Amino acid sequence: MAAQKSYSLPSFMNSDSSLPWLLPLITMLIVFAIIPFFYNIYLSFHEFVPAKRALLFVGWDNWIRLFTDGVFWGSLKVSLYYTFMCLLIQLVLGMGIALLIDSDDPGFGIIRSILTLTLVIPPAIAGMIFLIMEDANYGLIPWLLKSVGLIGPEDTILADPTLALWGVMIVDIWQWTPFMVLILVAGLRSLPSEPFESAVIDGARPFQVFRRLTLPMLHKVIAVAILIRGIDLWRMVDYVFVLTSGGPGTATYTLSLYSWQRFTFVQWGYGATISLFSLIVILIVGNAFIHFAKVKW
Amino acid sequence: MIRKILAFSIALIFIFPIFFLITSSFKNNIDLFSLPPKLFLFDIDFSAYERVFGFSKLLKFDPSYGELYLTSRILDSLIVGIGSSSLTLIIGIYAGYYISRANFRYKNFLIMSILSARMMPLISIAIPLYFVYEKFNLLDTYIGLILIHTFINLPLAVLLLKSFFDEVPKQIDENAFIDGASKIKILHELIIPCAKGGIAVTFILSIIFSWTEFICALMIGQMKIKTIPIQASIMKTIPSWDMMAAFTTISIIPVFIMILVVRKHFVRGLTLGTVKE
Repeated sequence: MAAQKSYSLPSFMNSDSSLPWLLPLITMLIVFAIIPFFYNIYLSFHEFVPAKRALLFVGWDNWIRLFTDGVFWGSLKVSLYYTFMCLLIQLVLGMGIALLIDSDDPGFGIIRSILTLTLVIPPAIAGMIFLIMEDANYGLIPWLLKSVGLIGPEDTILADPTLALWGVMIVDIWQWTPFMVLILVAGLRSLPSEPFESAVIDGARPFQVFRRLTLPMLHKVIAVAILIRGIDLWRMVDYVFVLTSGGPGTATYTLSLYSWQRFTFVQWGYGATISLFSLIVILIVGNAFIHFAKVKW
Repeated sequence: MIRKILAFSIALIFIFPIFFLITSSFKNNIDLFSLPPKLFLFDIDFSAYERVFGFSKLLKFDPSYGELYLTSRILDSLIVGIGSSSLTLIIGIYAGYYISRANFRYKNFLIMSILSARMMPLISIAIPLYFVYEKFNLLDTYIGLILIHTFINLPLAVLLLKSFFDEVPKQIDENAFIDGASKIKILHELIIPCAKGGIAVTFILSIIFSWTEFICALMIGQMKIKTIPIQASIMKTIPSWDMMAAFTTISIIPVFIMILVVRKHFVRGLTLGTVKE
């Protein structure tokens, strides 16, 4: 650090050691990110053996089990499907609503405030609300669907293997579409108006304006929204935990939930292996996305 | 005009489940299960609130009203939320200010690490942490939960505070530095007052994200400590619907008030300081 003791004023902050400023942050990162990461690796080569009541070294067993476990592949499929479908639906819906309420009118300001509210409800509680609304006997949503004839009188949502995942996704879409809306509206509001005015003068159709002007200019905002939403969708566990606990059968296990469930069944090593897999995937995909979408902080 | 009607009907769809939850908490057990649902015309009934918060216990002794503990769940959430947000803020202000002002060699690497910390599936932290906490006797303690929530909120706090500090002109630092003030004094006496709005926003957002966090609270809090989402998820059997509704209504209303206070900066918080409204 002594070499940095220069006296050029504009970058004066360099003249001091950075450690006192960053030490608490770096300590937290080491204790809660680096240590758990290596501990996860350690756990993935061990397993609790009930007969000996101890955590024993099992070599690659957990990893072999991971790649031959049908439930794991199922949960990976659910996680991928959930992440991509929710992201797509929320982005498209969010963009539509954002374009609709992008206006200086104070009435639309109230709508933006209303949309904020869904985002701060604890996801577990949002799940509870929909658990009531999707209940097979007393729920509002099955009742509505039955009265318009979309599902049969004996059908349920959350106990049906094909519908259950959509029953969970509807909660996510309800709660987080406003996330996309608010970010995209903020992006739309910050765009300069001149290019749009000249485009209108040149006789461009609305769709052309959107395709050629709005989308490219919003590229950074959309990238950030996809990144953050994608991260949270990938690690989602609250909704399935509350609504279906992974059921019926294994139809709605996500990676995180399956990992948690193995942990509670005292398969600590295998649970850690699943969570480690999920972690490595998101670290690679997330950082690659930041790199290629050129998101800057 | 059509646009406005369409926009308001969309807003109604999004607000409906919240409305449904709040009205459910005032319904008696017959109206609660009636189909078609009684949205507006129902007998207002406070009995769920009485059972959740044990009001009637204060007036007369009734052994069936034993749910006074639910109040302590809200207290748990408050302690963890305020504790972790304060700690987040202390760490975040210094780190955020330093990252905002200084050019150091590993700056980009540090920012990437912070973002990577934001990406971690919480279950992959919670499982190893369970064993670490077990060794240090931190399971089921406030301090253990405060620490993990601090970590969860740090990426948000550091990057958001950095973006607020970026808006304070560097000229202020430089002038004060020429006048001979130390860097720590510059931060405490000049920069923090300039950015106090941003600091308040960061604090509130940290409380909210601690308030809503689920899986780590489930893992670390066991018997003594249960935050609000954990408690709500336990009350999912049908007989306790009205109590669940009353309990969650009480617990989300403070968050609604907080978020409407900082609404202007909410988008910035959600995007870790990159998109400004």
